[in-house]
Amino acid sequence: MAVTVKTFASSNEAATALSSDRTARYLGGGTLVMRALNEGDVSISTVVRANDQALTRIDASGPRITLGAGITFARILSERDLAFLHAPARSIGGPAVRNMGTVGGNLFAPNPYGDFAVALLALDATVAVQGGFGSRDIAIEEFLQSRERQSGALVLSVSCTRPASADAFRYRKVARIKPKGGSVITLAAHLPISGGRIAGARIALGSMAPTQIRAKAAERALEGRTLDAATIAAAASAVTEGTSPSNNALGSAWYRREIVGVHLRRLLSGQE
Amino acid sequence: MLELRKDIFADERDDNLKEIGKGTQRQDMLGHITGTSSYFNDHKLQGMLHLKVVRSTHAHARLRRIDTTEAERSVGVRKIIRGADVPVNLNTLLSLINFGKDDEPSLAVDKVRYKGEPILAIVADSEREAFEAIAKVRIDYEPLPTVFDVEDALKPGAPVVNETYPKNAFIYHEAYDHQRLRFGDADAALATADHVLEQRYQMSPIEHAPTETNGAIAAPDTNGRYVVYTSTQALFFSVDTCAKILDVPSNTFHFIGGTVGGGFGGKVDTLTEPLAILGAMLTGRPVRYVFGREEEMQYGPPRGAERIYIKDGVMRDGRIVARKIRAYFDSGAYTRLSSYAAVKCAAHLPGPYTIPNVYGDVYCVFTNRTPATAMRGFGVTAMDFAIECQMDKLANLVGMDPMEFRILNAYRDGDMKAHRREAKNTALIECVQVAAEKAKWPIRDEFRRASSRKDGGGSRAVIPPIPTDARARPTTPAQQRTTYDRAPVNVTREPPREPPPPAPPPPPPRPSAPSHGATRFSSVFGTRRR
Repeated sequence: MAVTVKTFASSNEAATALSSDRTARYLGGGTLVMRALNEGDVSISTVVRANDQALTRIDASGPRITLGAGITFARILSERDLAFLHAPARSIGGPAVRNMGTVGGNLFAPNPYGDFAVALLALDATVAVQGGFGSRDIAIEEFLQSRERQSGALVLSVSCTRPASADAFRYRKVARIKPKGGSVITLAAHLPISGGRIAGARIALGSMAPTQIRAKAAERALEGRTLDAATIAAAASAVTEGTSPSNNALGSAWYRREIVGVHLRRLLSGQE
Repeated sequence: MLELRKDIFADERDDNLKEIGKGTQRQDMLGHITGTSSYFNDHKLQGMLHLKVVRSTHAHARLRRIDTTEAERSVGVRKIIRGADVPVNLNTLLSLINFGKDDEPSLAVDKVRYKGEPILAIVADSEREAFEAIAKVRIDYEPLPTVFDVEDALKPGAPVVNETYPKNAFIYHEAYDHQRLRFGDADAALATADHVLEQRYQMSPIEHAPTETNGAIAAPDTNGRYVVYTSTQALFFSVDTCAKILDVPSNTFHFIGGTVGGGFGGKVDTLTEPLAILGAMLTGRPVRYVFGREEEMQYGPPRGAERIYIKDGVMRDGRIVARKIRAYFDSGAYTRLSSYAAVKCAAHLPGPYTIPNVYGDVYCVFTNRTPATAMRGFGVTAMDFAIECQMDKLANLVGMDPMEFRILNAYRDGDMKAHRREAKNTALIECVQVAAEKAKWPIRDEFRRASSRKDGGGSRAVIPPIPTDARARPTTPAQQRTTYDRAPVNVTREPPREPPPPAPPPPPPRPSAPSHGATRFSSVFGTRRR
């Protein structure tokens, strides 16, 4: 059976087509779907596309920013207002992948990819999803945990609150090949400071579980404290709690568990 | 800019050469930089079919049953090729030069020996239809115990990977399970050395990662011939390999290659051509078989991993008195070119140094890994890396500068190498001196004055006696003896006191078939037919 490509003018129609066909896959930049098709993934028989302008809209004027799902990483890197997202955007693929890969697609990228979603998870982003019965907002954590069941839904946009300062949001991707290797582990930390103390800490990890996850024990170790050596050490030693990394060609589960605390310590203490 | 030091290499080059050392335009460069070079995959032939293989999901398993009923009924399927359809379904690449036994099927028959081994080839109207048919093939595997570690594979009772070599080691000259180098008495020298340093080095397999993956398009031509567009980097080698596997004269094929799309050793194995041609033979249509990127990365042959143990004895003054090496070359499930890698590995011992006592054992080992193949100096680079790491560690151990340490131990013109060849045009000392100078690395005067053309030979040219091996040594079949067994012509200083051991690297087999025409001598494979 040949593969059918369906292109729609509105995201609404695309979402309907997507939810009514189990073999349909939405094609954003194609860095995942085209690879799967080229490698012989016969579970995809229909490719759905949408030309909806709304999918490529950026609203970055206020404290709450919204990124259309079709925004590419190259586009993020060209937006001065999105400087806090430049580090995660730059860590993805090479120029060719960044030129095509999208924010929405990254939410579905399996290990060792999906680095941008790690950053969004630390930023407590909200994912706007169009299903068969209209659109709704889902917290990114919930979205990622139920990702397997989301394939029939179309992601419209992602929104999050801009960090209060450049220092409040930190990101680090550990890769064997720089600058464009797959992730050994990826870390993102959002550390809002209120009255000198951390309030609402978020630590997100990539490649430490089947999907991107929050390191909640490490967050608790940071919560309500000042970011000093003792706090950082406590967070670093708690960071593996609740993780379930696996072995792949880039690193073993054991290695990931060993190094995640080291890299969290470096990230929190501002070491390169 | 290339500079040939005439003071050192006076006799090395004829100054009247027209090409070597002169700037020249590569003949294919214009096509490459203008994007007009055509590659095998640029040929879209009318009625072209697409071939994809069903690969083993197990690293080692017996094939109980292969059910293709549903796959045969799948839309667009033209032909499903099984191992039984391959005219000569057992081959080894170097059989073309009479080296090694046939050990690898084009399509697995009774069992699979590595994850990803091809079992069936499906020819369909489109790649998609071939993939859909692959999903409908049912294979009943009986998993077998696996072995992935080179040393485990050599232990008694280890799972037999490849029945052609039941001890999981390549057999040289029908007698030796490893390449052996013996020079002097390494054990005795280690016992009296001031320091002994033993280290283990483990290399990983390395993928060639070509821009264009392995592939070929074969099409029926007039007069029963086949035209084959291929990315092979060894075109005539591939022609002969296909002729053997398909049991036809090699003039049945018209191979068109030349633009490789990135080879580096990863496109000599002739993996796609035989099946593409067979597909064309069985369907009468052009057939294209090209690896996907994942196939290339996962199942395309890599540079083999090596494990190397080096035990060195060094005196306080920095002289290395003994070097004992045990190396294992991981060939994966089949030989391909790894037997040759182990020969090269042994030929490289003990590095460019004059060491009076050398002991080397190099094994080519079969495991349930992806078969390894050629890649840029395979068999040599890993050994050199290990040796040079070891040199730095030894220098540190005796408190010497690493550059001076190398100059002290470097071979010099006239020295006897462990392979019983006189060292000539050595120039390592000069290379180190130049490297030190360029790096502004200070070395002491006596080392700056050292020369590879002074103080060599003499006692350093002596072939030391070798303690007899406790183990009984199998005798080499007489017909395998070649010129390589003879002592170097110029050695008159001191004859070996004992009959020489199997010369390292040992002699390659002479063609068993009656030779005709001219023969030529290769330093690795010995005498061979032209």
